[in-house]
Amino acid sequence: MSMNTVATDVVGRIAEIVRRPVSALQLDTPLSSVAPDSFVLVEIVIELQEEFGVRFDHDDMRDLRTVGDVVALLESRLPR
Amino acid sequence: MSDPSLTPQPTSSTDTPGSTEVFEFPSALDDPHVVLPVPAATVDSLTPARSALGDSQRWLLSFYRTSEISGALFFGRLARAQRPGPIQQDLTRHFADEAQHARYWTDCLDELGVAPLKLGVAYQDQYLSAAGMPANLMEVLAITSVFERRVINQYARHLTVAELEPAVIRTLNKIMEDERWHISWVRQALKDMGPEYGEDHVKATVRRFEQADREVYAATIREHEERVSFVLDHSGRAR
Repeated sequence: MSMNTVATDVVGRIAEIVRRPVSALQLDTPLSSVAPDSFVLVEIVIELQEEFGVRFDHDDMRDLRTVGDVVALLESRLPR
Repeated sequence: MSDPSLTPQPTSSTDTPGSTEVFEFPSALDDPHVVLPVPAATVDSLTPARSALGDSQRWLLSFYRTSEISGALFFGRLARAQRPGPIQQDLTRHFADEAQHARYWTDCLDELGVAPLKLGVAYQDQYLSAAGMPANLMEVLAITSVFERRVINQYARHLTVAELEPAVIRTLNKIMEDERWHISWVRQALKDMGPEYGEDHVKATVRRFEQADREVYAATIREHEERVSFVLDHSGRAR
């Protein structure tokens, strides 16, 4: 599965936070395997919002299952 | 600055034999100023420390220690995620305080002649499960405001237990001093976020986390009733 620029940036940032090689993360990688500790997941979503200047809402969190879900959510919040 | 209306009010009924006042701290958004009381018990009023700490208190102090460690790790992550600015500065101090509190409990247990128990789960772990993951910084601060009030209420309640060891009282008082600042800065930050997130939305978020907090606290009390009964029996029921 190829990644666009935003996806590459997001996956790279997540990889930095969880200290894994970027190659270990794909869009279909479950978040539960990336961030088994919910505190790590909080850090990921807060950091991405800071980095990209977007805001997530409570309802958004329910549908986050994979790295690709995070990418899609973030892309949906970026200005067109 | 001391405004009587901001002073937490005793809530337990005084008509119950043996009951002791339990402090209810004001809601996170009641007022930007925090004037929280120093509980009546002081080191000076104590009996000498006992040589052996009871199993229940050892477990509870270890539980506090574990929760402070989790808090430090959580706020450390948040501080790392933030851009430079006032919130990053406050989060960093908050993170440092929590780490220091874990040290205080470790030292306290050591002074009492026991090693901390290694506990797998901290209070916060259950918290996020029950409340749902905070989605943004406002939600993080909302859950923090609720959690910090739970902590300071619990510590105030613990201080009402008779014949506490001086080391425990000293540690509780020292930590509660920091907790007052935690509540204060988070409350102010939430107030400042009102225009951006909507004041009603901020209040609704705090209420959502307060509901989750009550559920987690009640579940925690149920699960560990035997270990924490020495606190509850003395000062009142779980809220």
